[in-house]
This record gives sequence, structure tokens and C-alpha cells, in this order.
Amino acid sequence: MKILICLKQVPDSTVRVKVAPGGKDIVTEGMTWAISPYDEYAIELALEVKDGDPTTTVSVVSVGPARARDALRQALAMGCDDASLVVGEASGLGLSRALAKVVMEAKPDVVLCGKQASDDDQGFIGPALAEALSWPHVPFVTKLAGASGAVEAWRETEGGHEVWKASAPVVLTVQKSAKEPRYPSLPGIMKAKKKEIPEREIVSLNVDTSGQTLEIASLEPPPVRGGGKMLKDGDMAAIAADLVRLLREEAKVL
Amino acid sequence: MPVARGTERELADAVAAYVATLAPSIAAAEREGRLPPDAIRGLGRLGVLGMTVPEADGGIGASAVAFALVLEELSAVWPSLAVAVSVNSGIVAGSIVRLATAAQRARWLPRLMDGEGLASFCLTEPSSGSDAASLRATAVRDSDGWRISGEKLFVTNARYAPFALVLARVGEADPARPHAGITAFVVPMTSNGIRVGRSEAKHGLLASDTSAIVFDGVRVGRDDLLGEEGRGFGAVALAGLDSGRIGIAAQAVGIARGAIALATAYAKERRQFGRPIAEFQSLRFALARAAVDTDAARLLALRAAWSKDNGLPFGRLAAQAKLFASEAANRATHTALQVLGGYGYLCDFGAERLARDARATTIYEGTSEIQRLVIARSLLAEAA
Repeated sequence: MKILICLKQVPDSTVRVKVAPGGKDIVTEGMTWAISPYDEYAIELALEVKDGDPTTTVSVVSVGPARARDALRQALAMGCDDASLVVGEASGLGLSRALAKVVMEAKPDVVLCGKQASDDDQGFIGPALAEALSWPHVPFVTKLAGASGAVEAWRETEGGHEVWKASAPVVLTVQKSAKEPRYPSLPGIMKAKKKEIPEREIVSLNVDTSGQTLEIASLEPPPVRGGGKMLKDGDMAAIAADLVRLLREEAKVL
Repeated sequence: MPVARGTERELADAVAAYVATLAPSIAAAEREGRLPPDAIRGLGRLGVLGMTVPEADGGIGASAVAFALVLEELSAVWPSLAVAVSVNSGIVAGSIVRLATAAQRARWLPRLMDGEGLASFCLTEPSSGSDAASLRATAVRDSDGWRISGEKLFVTNARYAPFALVLARVGEADPARPHAGITAFVVPMTSNGIRVGRSEAKHGLLASDTSAIVFDGVRVGRDDLLGEEGRGFGAVALAGLDSGRIGIAAQAVGIARGAIALATAYAKERRQFGRPIAEFQSLRFALARAAVDTDAARLLALRAAWSKDNGLPFGRLAAQAKLFASEAANRATHTALQVLGGYGYLCDFGAERLARDARATTIYEGTSEIQRLVIARSLLAEAA
């Protein structure tokens, strides 16, 4: 099976992000970047298929800034076979068209995307890419198996799971699963260093990168948590009554 | 100066991420006095055990700098694990890579890397420690091979070892030429005539196995001879210890770093007299001293490793790094224990464990006194 994973480099989830002056962006200076967590689950899912069937090839591609090369290198260190980078910016729809062009060239059986990127949380690219390709799309997949010309995809549901069959080629978006993404092994890191990551400009794909764009109107950090309030006056009944009043009038949760 | 970034730093970071996942199992493993087999398997899977083995032999052929950084990362979390790796992948793998034939490498190296065991190194004996060349183990010729007899002490990994790298003397000891006849053999632990003694009860490094091994007429063939007959002392013992000292220096740096991390975190949180104790100058001075000590130790260790990578003489540099780093680690861990006060003295807080573990670093791979002899000998030879 030939698997292509579309991945995005995002701020590392352990980093505390700060709102930049102007309130429409975050401070990216000194930022630690990482593969978007759901994309990491997609990599793990693909590598599990490869563990079971070594003829499987796993490729990764990213459309984004030049620094996304580090995320691709990380994916290679985890065990992906090859990686390529498309440098440039596009609207969400434009990005889907660019990825569709890359997919058409690579001709994979399965395209995997994380169900959403952890920075914007839009969950847009996977379904839009399937639409651009006119391929079937199965969302929130946690496990994948290949059969000739088709794939079986597991979806976690309330209290159980569903197994979907789709004809290949297909786009699957990947949900977090119990199987944590593997660490890059030391030989993996060494091998990844030696691999070329071909790079090209998004304009060279000759796709329409425009489209309806969304603009962030404002970003605000969550409000600073206030201190707790101790209710000490009076007996139990009085305190309980006070508590109910505060929950209703101040906290407005009743 | 060594530059510890790029690939070398990435390898170390990958190991740091792995060893952090072992942290919850450390207390129990130290109590039980054994390394969990899964932890060793994990190191095998990750590729740590084959770090020093060339790619052509199935390893990754990482630099001595990378290996030192990795040992530091392991030690910052779990020194017992680091010393086990240092012996397996440092002294034993290093000696085999340097001296073994292609057939021997193919036979032995995979078993150092597969995570199913950790090899051991048998040099020290009841009557020979610092004076290693006075060893009494013998290898007596027996048709086309030898029979090894003798008692080896302080054998790290004895219980986990698929095989041991053993130094024994072929022929009679000659007081005028103490190194003469000393020969290195790789002996499978399943051989007849091997008895592993009880696991020693130690002051620190409790999860690392240290045992005696008795060899009673153990038969080895020509295939088990490592390097040349009679050349084992220089080629294996001395050369292996030079590299091993970089490993212990890196281990000491990791221990010191782990202690400083505990102490700084505690000092910022613990409040006395209405403020965090980190605001008291006496404590700040102690932490600053420990930080400078640790950095200096790291630079000495990395310089020795970098010199090794670049084919430069590094014996004295390794001795200097080992001497300074091990003593710095002892000071830093005592500082950390003192900063934590009563909690430092309790086993649940980790500071006392690091202090106990640090104690071994001024003793094994040559005591501080032996390091000073090595350094002074080199210094005086230069002046001559």
C-alpha cells in the first residue's frame, strides 16, 4: 500500500503561546515547532501498516513555510520513507488544491490527514482535499487495514467502533487513538539526516491558491483565574445558603 | 571546542524523551535492585545500545560526543541505567569494534544491541583493583584453546550479560613485566564452569547489577580470543578505561544536572520565613557554584569526547574530565540534598538517591587518586 500523509507544523503543545501586539496573531519568535499532534497519530497509524507489511511506503508532504522542513525531518526519523516540502502560503481552499496536485502526482492509495491541526483547529483541509480530488473521505479514523483495491477504516464511536470500507484511493482523517505515536529511534534520526527533502515553490504547482479567506478579528488569552473565596461565617446552613446565592448571582452557574 | 548541536543534540533529546517515560518505574526498580527487562529492551529498540557500533555492523556509528550526551541524559534521570549502558556500549562494544575480526563482530555485536541483555566487563579481582595489571585470573592452553580460571569482582551487568569480556593471563606472571600475558576473551555466560555470585548490596546505583563471577576451568576457543594473545592489557583494559572515563564523566554531569534540577524546583516552591527559600543568598550561592561546576565538567567531558572523535590523544583529557566531573557531582548532589533539607533526606524525593549514586563516580573506572596519577604522569612526560 502507498500512503501519503499531509502534515502541518504547529507550535509545540507544551509551549505557552502569547498573543502578539495587535491582537491578531501569536508571538512566533523563539517558538518551538512540532508536528501537529493528530498528524503524529496519522504517522503512527501509517507506520503500523508498514510494520505489518514492509512493502508499504509512507510519504509525507507539507505545504507551508521553509521551517516546516524540520517537521518533515522528524517524520522521516519516526520511520516515514520520504518527504517533500512545498513552500508558500494559500487560503484553506488553495492549500487543498495544492495538496491535491501533489497527491495526483504521487498517486497514493491512501491519503491521511490529522482530523484537525492543533493551531487553528478548523478541521478543514482533510475534507476539502477529498473534495478537490473527488475521492471518498472517512473522518475520525483510528485504525487502518488494506485489502486489494480497498481499505478498511476503524472509527471510534460511543461505546464501540465502526468499520468502514472504502474503495482506494481514499482520504482518511485521523483521530487520536490509544496507540501513542512512536519516538524517533536513533538510527531513524541518523537515516533521516541523509535523506533529501525536495522543495518547490507553491507557484510551480500552477493551482489557484486564492479562495475565501478567513481573518482573525482578535485573539485574547484566557482570563487570569481569580482567587477562590472561602465561606466561613455562620453555621453550615448559613454557609450553604450563601454558597447557593453566590453560585446563582456571581458565578451564574445555577 | 566541541559543538554539541545538530544530530548529536537530536540523538540526546530522543533519549531524554525516552528515559523520561521510565521515571515512574525507577523507585521500584531501585528497591528491587534490578533493571526492568522492558527498560533494556526499550533502549535496544531506540538504538541506544548500538550507538557506538558502526553502521556496517548494524549500529548507528554515532560520535563519542553523541554518546557522552546520551549518557548525560540517561544519568540525569536514572544513573543506574546509564552505568549499565556505559559498560555494554562503551567498554565492551568499543573493544569489540576496535579489535574483533569481521566474523567475531557479526557474532557478538548484535547481542549487545538487541536489548535482550547487557554485556559485562571482567577486570577487577579480589587482590587487584587500581593495580589492575596484578590480576591473577589465568588462561591455560588446552589443545587449540584455553581454560580460564579465576575470580572477578565488581562485574556490572553480570546478571544481564549474554557474554563477558574477560581479562586473564596466559603464561606465568612476570613481576618485571606486569602486563605480560594479559589476554582478552569474550566468554558466553552459558559456558560450563561459570558461577555468578550474589548481587552485591551497594550504597548506590541499586538497580544496576554488580556481582562476582567465578571462572572454573571455562573452555574458550580461538574464536573467543579478542585481539592478540598477551596484548589485552593495553589494547582492552587501558584503552577501554580511557573511553570509559569519558562515559563516567558524562554520567557524573548528568547526576549533577539532575540534582540541580531538583534543588532549583524545590527552592522556588518551598517557603520559609514568608518567602521562597530561593530568595536566600546562601542557597543561591550554593546553586550557582553547582551550576558552574557542572558546566565546567560537561565541557571537559565533551572536549575529551571530541578529541577521541578527531583521532587526538584523549587519555589525559578523559582522566581530567572524570576526576573533575565525579567530584563536582558529589558536591552538587550534597548541595541539592541540603537545599531540600529534611525532604532531601527522605527517599521519596530523589535527592538522596542521586547523592548515593554520585558516590560511585569517584571510585569506578579508576579512583580520583588514580586519575591524578594518570594526569600527573602525562603532565610530567610532556615537560620532559
